Amino acid sequence: MSNPHQEPLVSVLHEEENSPDILPKPTGFLPIETNWFDRVFISVVIWIALSLFWFRFIEPMGPSIWISNAISAALAFIIVKKG
Amino acid sequence: MQSKRLGWILLAPTLVILFFFGVLPFFYVVYVSFHSWNPFAVNPEMVFNGADNFRKIVFDTAFLKSIGVTVMFVVFAVLSELIIGYALAQAFMRDFPGKAIFRTIHTLPLIMAPIIVGSVWKLMTTPSIGIIPHYLEEWFGLTMNIGTSAPAAFATVVLMDIWHWTPLVTLTLIAALVSLPPDPFEQAQIDGAGKRQIFWHITLPMIAPAVVATVFIRLMDALRTVDEVWMLTGGGPGSATRFVGVHIFKEVFPKTNYGYGSTISVIVLYLTIVSCWLLYVTMLAPRSKRG
Repeated sequence: MSNPHQEPLVSVLHEEENSPDILPKPTGFLPIETNWFDRVFISVVIWIALSLFWFRFIEPMGPSIWISNAISAALAFIIVKKG
Repeated sequence: MQSKRLGWILLAPTLVILFFFGVLPFFYVVYVSFHSWNPFAVNPEMVFNGADNFRKIVFDTAFLKSIGVTVMFVVFAVLSELIIGYALAQAFMRDFPGKAIFRTIHTLPLIMAPIIVGSVWKLMTTPSIGIIPHYLEEWFGLTMNIGTSAPAAFATVVLMDIWHWTPLVTLTLIAALVSLPPDPFEQAQIDGAGKRQIFWHITLPMIAPAVVATVFIRLMDALRTVDEVWMLTGGGPGSATRFVGVHIFKEVFPKTNYGYGSTISVIVLYLTIVSCWLLYVTMLAPRSKRG
């Protein structure tokens, strides 16, 4: 038989049951709190910015826009997975 | 289950309208931006040209200049509206004789259509008949001609925008200030905080969401300003007030270059979304991270 003095109060048990689970939030390398949609949005923004930058400064020297797209896709994958 | 279905039924008309008048045109503009299309040319067909329009836009000096002018306009106009709007909102929080009449008169520009505002300001600034050049010359000996002086035209457009839209900022900030609880202010006064400290550490953080929302609205409006400027200066003299909205208008209507015009629109939309998002991240998002 358990000692009643060592058992938690009923009100405490009730509160524990009703309280939301506190789990450590997964934190990525981005400096703000994000959900998957935010990370997709950030990836698209970076994709467009990089493409425009490529058109203006890199493509006239030779390298194709597909290299920029490959870099952007890789960046998008990293941001969505680990951001 | 029943309430969930009812919710979707009630939402359906809005979603249908939003889809046909918001989402579909957006995707259509993006689609057109990848094409060369002049529906009034000999060949009115839409021809797919990949990313050529985007290649062209990054070297288009007229477009890049119009972006620069627009950014300058947005910074000057929105900042001034925010500062003047806040000062007026604080003034309207106090009682003074004639407050009700002054508040009504101050809100009047808001109900005027932008094209009317443009024509009124054109009348006021036309050198031979305008009241502003007349008194500037009579009182200060200054000559003002927005048809020949680029700085005068730019300053007039900024002033016109401030005159037109500051009441909106004032009304939003009044709503935010009225809803503030008095306790933190009383506590700060008891602790001996000065007016400046109260503003920076209590008022501003508490009204920050309203300020950001107001800046969002004004930023988006200012970036697509066309009618007022078109009426007042027509984008001139030279390209002094050729804002990006005016640039798109000139590209799409007189030149009937629909493909390239759509590309400019997509880029402007991109810049608008990115600037609003950056503003949100810098002013509001860090707080949610700490919380």
